[in-house]
Amino acid sequence: MTVVIGFEGSANKIGVGIVRDGEVLSNPRRTYITPPGQGFLPSETARHHRSVILTVLKEALEEAGLKPADIDCVAYTKGPGMGAPLVTVALVARTVAQLWGKPLLGVNHCIGHIEMGRLITQANNPTVLYVSGGNTQVIAYSERRYRIFGETIDIAVGNCLDRFARVIKISNDPSPGYNIEQMAKKGTQYVELPYTVKGMDVSFSGILSYIEVRCRAFKWELSSALSCIETLFSMLVEITERAMAHCSSQEVLIVGGVGCNLRLQEMMGVMCKERGAKLFATDESFCIDNGAMIAQAGWEMFRSGQTTELSDSWITQRYRTDEVEVTWRD
Amino acid sequence: MAAPCTENNHKQGKLEFVLDVPFPSSREASIALQSLSPDREPRKGGISKELTVSGCTLSVSWRADEARILRVSVGSFMDHLSLVMETMEAFGPPVSVTTQTVSSTMT
Repeated sequence: MTVVIGFEGSANKIGVGIVRDGEVLSNPRRTYITPPGQGFLPSETARHHRSVILTVLKEALEEAGLKPADIDCVAYTKGPGMGAPLVTVALVARTVAQLWGKPLLGVNHCIGHIEMGRLITQANNPTVLYVSGGNTQVIAYSERRYRIFGETIDIAVGNCLDRFARVIKISNDPSPGYNIEQMAKKGTQYVELPYTVKGMDVSFSGILSYIEVRCRAFKWELSSALSCIETLFSMLVEITERAMAHCSSQEVLIVGGVGCNLRLQEMMGVMCKERGAKLFATDESFCIDNGAMIAQAGWEMFRSGQTTELSDSWITQRYRTDEVEVTWRD
Repeated sequence: MAAPCTENNHKQGKLEFVLDVPFPSSREASIALQSLSPDREPRKGGISKELTVSGCTLSVSWRADEARILRVSVGSFMDHLSLVMETMEAFGPPVSVTTQTVSSTMT
């Protein structure tokens, strides 16, 4: 029996989760929500995390009904992400690991999403579309690495959506992407936007500039939201399909906060059906950044013999998904 | 594995700041040291700090070129230190272990 506690706080969500042999025992989380029109900055986000992390940690232990002695390993997000919030979380992880006398494990945030997606959906060997506010990558497993087959060449799709939300000043509660999704449902007019797939990769910053200019000028809010969603997601479906064709894959797994979007799941579902492939997606408790996903990736890593020395436990804002040796898969 | 860039910490800064933080035990001072030392200063140049433990005291000494850079670094450190101390208060005391090494680290 192996119990791992995971700490996640690379963006505006701070979560602590506990996993025992494939079972999520607890997964409390808090989100730092800024007023409409504002994004979250590193120092303020770190301050938010500092103010709640110990409470969330206590909640995680209580909900799981465990004591520190029951934990086998302390996992935390080593990166990628925002520097100040990452440090805040790493400090607590390092401190409790030493207080409790448990090994420490630095986890790659992207791999956390992938491993939680695999656990929850039981997908066998899917092409993974990882889409969030900070990341947009198409990933497939091959020979001990999660290889990046396609990605954004500038900003993440979630970042494009979040910044669009700021321009039209909609609420960031519960998340800007969710509110854009609701607006898009009410839109009736599709407006053609630049479509910027670049081979296996995608670009979003040009579309964002385009929308910002036209939205301010013409106030097309509902139709912009609809057009935005349709265009951005079509691009994601295209690069996912391209990767599937290269890998002869029959499974797609969508992970990351943008993966909560039902329209994205619907569009991907249509493509999968046409190819005779299967689509896997998780609900918002696991799509959105959470502690249990770090615990789950930590569980896999720990069981395959990995740990992180304290002196090597520095956080890093840049951490490529394919830098990690996936020792727990063949 | 992602690796930090190595920094040249040997430049002599014009300004110095020293902080001594007492802990209830040398074990707790070392735990604080091990938690606070791994991360690099966000700013690549113009500031360096060194953390050491002696007895029950954690000592931090900074060297910086400019006052504002020093202020930012010391301010961040104080926030981090207080988080570590709050964590130790909430989840301590540390469990007993057979060996504990006290080390000095330069960042």
